[in-house]
Amino acid sequence: MKRCFFLLRGVLTLLVLGMLVSGAWASDALMDRMADFDPSNPVIPEGDTIKIGHLNPFSGPAAMNGELYHIALHWVAHDLNKQGGVMVDGKLKKIEIIKGDTMSKPINAKKAAERLILGDKVDLLWGSTGSHISLVCQQTAAKYKKIYVSALSISDSLMDAENFNRYTFHTPWTTSQAAKSLAYFYAKRPEKKFYILCQDYSFGHDLAEKFKGYLKEFRPDAEIVGEDYHPLFTKDFAPYLEKVKASGAEVIFSGDWMPDSVNLLKQSRDSGLNLPFANMYMDDPITLGVVGVEGSAGLVNANQYMINDMDSRTRELNKVWHELHETKWEEPYNSSLYVWPLGVVASAINTTYWMMDVVERAGTTDPEKIIETWEGDKYDSFAGVLEMRACDHVTVRDTYVSEFSSPTKWFDNFSYIDKIVIVPSYVVEPPVPEGLDRCKK
Amino acid sequence: MDATTAMYVGQIMHGLAYGMLLFLVASGLTLIFGMMGILNLAHASFFMLSAYFCVSVIHMGGNFWLALLAAPIITAAIGVMVERFLLRGIHASGHIGELILTVGVMMVIMEAVQVFWGTDSHMISVPPALAGMVNIFGLQYPLYRLFVIFLALAILGLLVLFLFKTKMGMIIRAGVSDAEMVEALGINMPLVFMMVFAAGTWLAGVAGVAISPLLSVFPGMADQMGMDAFVVVVVGGFGSLLGAFVSALFFGLLNSFGIQFLPRIAPVLMFVFMVLVLSFKPKGLFGERE
Repeated sequence: MKRCFFLLRGVLTLLVLGMLVSGAWASDALMDRMADFDPSNPVIPEGDTIKIGHLNPFSGPAAMNGELYHIALHWVAHDLNKQGGVMVDGKLKKIEIIKGDTMSKPINAKKAAERLILGDKVDLLWGSTGSHISLVCQQTAAKYKKIYVSALSISDSLMDAENFNRYTFHTPWTTSQAAKSLAYFYAKRPEKKFYILCQDYSFGHDLAEKFKGYLKEFRPDAEIVGEDYHPLFTKDFAPYLEKVKASGAEVIFSGDWMPDSVNLLKQSRDSGLNLPFANMYMDDPITLGVVGVEGSAGLVNANQYMINDMDSRTRELNKVWHELHETKWEEPYNSSLYVWPLGVVASAINTTYWMMDVVERAGTTDPEKIIETWEGDKYDSFAGVLEMRACDHVTVRDTYVSEFSSPTKWFDNFSYIDKIVIVPSYVVEPPVPEGLDRCKK
Repeated sequence: MDATTAMYVGQIMHGLAYGMLLFLVASGLTLIFGMMGILNLAHASFFMLSAYFCVSVIHMGGNFWLALLAAPIITAAIGVMVERFLLRGIHASGHIGELILTVGVMMVIMEAVQVFWGTDSHMISVPPALAGMVNIFGLQYPLYRLFVIFLALAILGLLVLFLFKTKMGMIIRAGVSDAEMVEALGINMPLVFMMVFAAGTWLAGVAGVAISPLLSVFPGMADQMGMDAFVVVVVGGFGSLLGAFVSALFFGLLNSFGIQFLPRIAPVLMFVFMVLVLSFKPKGLFGERE
């Protein structure tokens, strides 16, 4: 008996040691590959490469988005290139990222996509922020029979019966999932008076409608005490906030993104309104740094990925990224925005690894083979299991909600993600598009 | 004060604060147009540039007050250079050339801020001395917004004193009426033009600093403010400081109460009003030029 105990203890010790060693090795391995990664001056491979066209605004007021996601794409490209590349057509090919500047305008997006397809002869297209821009990109990709990875825009309508095309794969979450995640979170909370304050365009209205619908489902006694839609890039939120104050609301629901998100949050705190915002985009260090620990405490953020240290892969990514940020990266990537691999950037990294994994498994960049491989595919990512629903190419996934508090291990100058509520994929599965024949089978 | 009254008083105060900010931007625009006949489409870009200078001053260890002093002066200095080395050279070719040139300046400033400050949003905090709330007859109102109202009123007062109580002000007013006649009297009009352009860009600069603690500083902020300032000047009457003041206050209040009572159409109310004014009074409410 005693011998058995010692044997068992020995095996367990070896197992633990093995796990520790492999973890350390893995971390070192990623650091070895990424040590020379400089997002400001990425290495551009030459020769026979897999070309990915990155469609986003790289100039004009929204140029920040281009930078934000360029680091994500180059991160994956650098990592895989350091491993020799991706095996396609019987040989290892390195990944080359080529920019396509949409300038946030549909006409420019079309031109940029065509230049990438016809001029640069890219194998895949990847983008773009702004659902109206992404729609143009996916239509252009379909016209030339190129795979378009719709990695950033989240409108449900992008993949509905009217807009679906088989060359487009939607990898982020959707508006429905975002709204449902927040409604699900509030099902077990004491707050029940909500004020809706969203941007006045299709996304803001769509998100608000869905939130109201799901709130009825999860929290029938909840009350919408006010509802306003402000123009994009509103300068002065004070008149809206005055209405919120008078409404008796307990939570402000807002889908605002930058710069509206930061202005709304800051102006509310400056005017003494400290209500929590149920939000999706008030999670970046610039926004939160402005309002500090107290101003950001109690914010409720829903996201498709939340930084955590729950498994070895995320720990590894966080450690390597953070170390490089602190020691090596230069402008603009040395700013507080990039201290950790957060939310949308980490999610973009995650799904880009998936995309390249699909290409490798397809063994080719031939769109038909990629479609065949990706439809119905399940991928064990560092943000949980992702499933590409075959009939409408929308990703089914878990989502995450957290109430910000302080202190956290990530930042000390504002409150941030604490306990993460996982909303299971079966709860937030996006609705199957009505009228899409492929989904009726 | 009960909650409903507090809400309406709050909306009045917000309208005044926003109106005063609009006035600070629009006053420079109308001054330059009134004196030089130039519709300076780069005006809001100077406003943005000053906001970026404010961010830099604070990031370099300065404070808001230093930024309020320095940023508008640096902006005005750039305005002087634009007038001296660009606008003056094409003055003889007429206003269309000047208009196109200011569009070019606007685009250069837009790209320059991205090169020097990047594409991220920048934010600065309300200065500690102006943080918090102040009690106005029972209404808790942000002290910083009250400061903006008084800052604009002080600048309006100084402008009025300068224009109506100094010799230079008299020359400028005369120049607004008939620049050629003033030049014929031996006044160095190019120098006066340059000073007016500097004053106009300085005013935009003050507005840029004043708005920085309220609004994120990012490359699109000029677009945000430029259109509103333009409408203020059109409705108030090109070249009329009084018109800009009245119109800015009116639009500030219209914005607040529009959002209160007609939120869905509030953003277009000012444009509707502009169309109405132009239909009945093409020179604007207080303008003398079409």
